[in-house]
Amino acid sequence: MKHFKTVLAAATALTASAGIASAEAASLSVFDWSGYEDQGFYGDYVAKYGGAPSYTYFGSVEEAFTKLQSGFAADLAHPCTDGLRKWVAAGLLKPIDTSKISNWDSLLPQIKDVDGVTIDGQTYMVPFEWGNTGLIFRTDQIDESSVSLQLMADPAYQGKIAIPDAASSAYAMAALATGASSYTDMSDEEFQKASDFLRQIHPNVRFYWSDAGQLDQAIASGEVLMGWGWNQSELNLIWNETPAKMMRDVDKGIATWVCGYVHLNSSTQSDEQVYDMLNALSSEPSGKYIIENWGYAHANADAFKSADQSLIETYGFADVDKFFEGSLFFDAVNPELEGRMLKEFERIKAGF
Amino acid sequence: MAGFLRTEAGKGLVLSAPASLYVGFLVAAPLGILVAYSFWTQTYVEIDKTLTWANYLEAATDPLVRHLLLRSILIAAAVTAATVALAYPIAYFIAFRTHKKTLWLLLITIPFWSSYLLRVFSWKLVLGFNGVMNSALISMGLITEPLTFLLYNEFAVVLTLAHAWAPFAILPIYVSLQKIDRSLLEAATDLGLTKLERFIRVTLPLSVPGIIAGSLIIFIPTVGDYVTPSLVGGSQGKMVANLIQVQFGPANNWPLGATLSLVAMASVGFVAILFVILATALGRRIR
Repeated sequence: MKHFKTVLAAATALTASAGIASAEAASLSVFDWSGYEDQGFYGDYVAKYGGAPSYTYFGSVEEAFTKLQSGFAADLAHPCTDGLRKWVAAGLLKPIDTSKISNWDSLLPQIKDVDGVTIDGQTYMVPFEWGNTGLIFRTDQIDESSVSLQLMADPAYQGKIAIPDAASSAYAMAALATGASSYTDMSDEEFQKASDFLRQIHPNVRFYWSDAGQLDQAIASGEVLMGWGWNQSELNLIWNETPAKMMRDVDKGIATWVCGYVHLNSSTQSDEQVYDMLNALSSEPSGKYIIENWGYAHANADAFKSADQSLIETYGFADVDKFFEGSLFFDAVNPELEGRMLKEFERIKAGF
Repeated sequence: MAGFLRTEAGKGLVLSAPASLYVGFLVAAPLGILVAYSFWTQTYVEIDKTLTWANYLEAATDPLVRHLLLRSILIAAAVTAATVALAYPIAYFIAFRTHKKTLWLLLITIPFWSSYLLRVFSWKLVLGFNGVMNSALISMGLITEPLTFLLYNEFAVVLTLAHAWAPFAILPIYVSLQKIDRSLLEAATDLGLTKLERFIRVTLPLSVPGIIAGSLIIFIPTVGDYVTPSLVGGSQGKMVANLIQVQFGPANNWPLGATLSLVAMASVGFVAILFVILATALGRRIR
């Protein structure tokens, strides 16, 4: 009987401590895209704190910025490199102490070096996942050898293409199509050429997509034959068995995006807990999980060795180095140019 | 104090206090902030609080703003005309031709039992490339390729809005028709008017207040509608609210967004007042 009581007491104590632990786990708040609350992404954190952090969601990086600017507080947020200069300028971020990131040395050097992870010599982001933005096309309607970014301007494809309702992504595409040296620092002439290209394809644009699902469905149904989109769309089409793929030829133009976690100035939790989460996110098991289950590329180089190689092949990340050499990175755009892109893009979309 | 509360003025103040406070804090104060913002300038991530007319100048001279504002007003006008024209017969039927008024009024509100966003999405499913309409036409053999002009243009925006706002036109027109003294209609018949003449000279003029109310209730909110054009408007159906959203979102230029909101508000007010004056005059003239 006495033994039973001890067991009971131990069980109660255990339940109680688990309760406390998960309350503590949830006290860390993460401001994220929906879907990233998946516990496979931060197994080590769950193991240590007995639960998941609490999540609040945003639909776009701009929306997240606006919400944070108007006083929303969280510990961590999950933006992408192209918008980060503005976040730093607005004083939203704390620098990252890379010495406390145990996986820092295992992260892919090319991803770590993307402008936006580090700004003016200070690191602000722990890169988490990356992928491609490229031209996804219907392989049964368009021949792989003839597909190109320039084909989008062909009058034969009137109402048959879709591009994102996001100025930076559209200009990155236009920069690749018109051969600009970089998209973050275009000269006036290059900017003009890129804008002309967007104007030229405007009559062919069925819609400017704002959520990726819209693009997936339009390509799957054949409403749209070519679309500038994320590798997530390509994956959805592969899983849907639609004859479609992303144009991965680096000479024809493909872009690479990098997103990651930043430490917000409005953070109230201890650095220890914040960095435990950052370490869990950047660890090799998390990387293996996201590659295999989500088809997204992770920042941790070791994850590419341990993950299922056939899946890596299917998802298009087999030759990572070749990719990095030829692809355009969504670096942090210079603010003055970003303003001009946004303004011009609104006019182009309205047919001006 | 207790004495004052018993006077007419005191009772009035007490009764109107909750609404006044509510309107004061949640309408007047935000509007004041909006006006203040419209005179400021955005410099990257900071707000420069020096007063300037620059935003208004930009809104007035930019052809894009004029274009979108004009399109919004035209779309809202088309929605208003379509909705009122379709709503009038229904309202007339309920007011004059049926005894089951409550049942009919209840039926009319059914679309409101589902969310606005869901109704917009369902129009996408109906009008889409492989949507209900196209699939039906193809299976009937009437067309071979899906029709693409159904979705992502002004037409789709007008159709979706007209459906969503129909009850707002039916109810005020119904009320004004219901109020009409039936003995006036009998008198008109006794004096030898045909049914059509009676409608045009008696019923229609007396229901003008309902038509005006219904039109304003539909026109004013639809000019500034954001969700419908962004979901079904495609690249040709964007409206001024979408441009305002861009200023508060991606462009991060709140002062310009505030200015555009105020300019849109002023335009709506101007058109609405003009409409009331015209409709009232027209109503008197028929009589």
